[in-house]
Amino acid sequence: MTVALEAPFPVPSRLAMTMAALGPIAIGGVLAMRGGTLTPIVAAPAIVFGVVAATAPALYIATAAAGHAPRLADAARAFGVALGAFGIALAGLILPAAFLAMSSVSATTTLVATTAGLAAAGYLGLRRLARELDIGATVVSVLVFVTWSAATAGIAGRLWWDLAAEVVS
Amino acid sequence: MNAAIEATTDAAFEPSARPSLGVIDLLLRDRAAILARIRAGTGVPALLRAMIGTIAVTMAIVGAALGSYRGGVQIVFAAIKLPLVLLGTAALSAPALSAIGAALGRRSRLRADITLVMTALAFGSLLLVACTPLIMLGREMDLEYHRMILATVAMFSIAGVAALRVIWRAVALEAAPGWRTALAGMCAVFALVGGQLSWALRPYLVRPRAPEAPFVRAVEGSLFDSISDELDSARGIYTRDSAPLPEAR
Repeated sequence: MTVALEAPFPVPSRLAMTMAALGPIAIGGVLAMRGGTLTPIVAAPAIVFGVVAATAPALYIATAAAGHAPRLADAARAFGVALGAFGIALAGLILPAAFLAMSSVSATTTLVATTAGLAAAGYLGLRRLARELDIGATVVSVLVFVTWSAATAGIAGRLWWDLAAEVVS
Repeated sequence: MNAAIEATTDAAFEPSARPSLGVIDLLLRDRAAILARIRAGTGVPALLRAMIGTIAVTMAIVGAALGSYRGGVQIVFAAIKLPLVLLGTAALSAPALSAIGAALGRRSRLRADITLVMTALAFGSLLLVACTPLIMLGREMDLEYHRMILATVAMFSIAGVAALRVIWRAVALEAAPGWRTALAGMCAVFALVGGQLSWALRPYLVRPRAPEAPFVRAVEGSLFDSISDELDSARGIYTRDSAPLPEAR
């Protein structure tokens, strides 16, 4: 039997993934313009995709051990949808973040605007991931997900902050 | 009765010679009909054009009224800048509503969301135009500068809340997943971008005794830097030795 899955976004999933790939590059570009170095353009997507790739297996293993594991294919699809959600959200936040950064002479504003844009998109991606994985069905799965989210956001946040602070300093 | 309302609504969206006036009337009398049209995707481009035109004209009137507090060239400057602030902020912020909503599973449509935001802002702009006599009254009464600013802030706050209610009502009707987050996110982005853009294009209300009225002030730190500096100053932390003095003539 073939089950037609509802499209996760009002835009094609491929476009959402493209946005996920280009969004961090654009945010890195805003930071790069302020700092006068190209490093953030490469480093920003590397941080996003690198950290997710490094920590995603841990979530699968932990939820499986907690007895709340989706099938591997479903988990992979959930991560794809979450990354797409991250990309779409970031696409809507890049323009405001770029405007706030470019309209001020202060490097701190650039740092805060780009960080806030990435953080908001990351939060929305995590919320979408929780829904796709049906986190919330059990208390244990919620605990596992919150712990994993905190660790992932902490690693990515620290790497981004170190990069951004160095670029604007 | 319903047929009559339907006919009036249809007529307002006809691409005839003067579509804007019918839409404006409908916006003031029957916002539910306009929101239903946006949701159905009927006549959205014409509606968007009408709303942009409404915002441009009404905010120019409000800007001119504010500029008249000083008079002279400031009337023209404020009449040009105020529509730019509102339209620019809407253009930068409305995609956030679509994007955040879509990320959380809402069936967002960018054009419909931009039209919705413009519709809400057009409604707020019309309310501000209705407040214009109060601005003129303040000018005629020589209301003190800071009181005039407070009165202006109060008027803009009322119009802002009314505009937000229009968007809230439309998005809540959808009952889509994540609609509250999308709305809150859009409001946050709107406040940040609107604050910074209006800061960058200030001044609008200038003291009557001001010898010069610049179109915009020199680019400097952002609104948020200014607030941060003010907070530091309030705590006795100063970043300069003394306040700048006027140049000797």
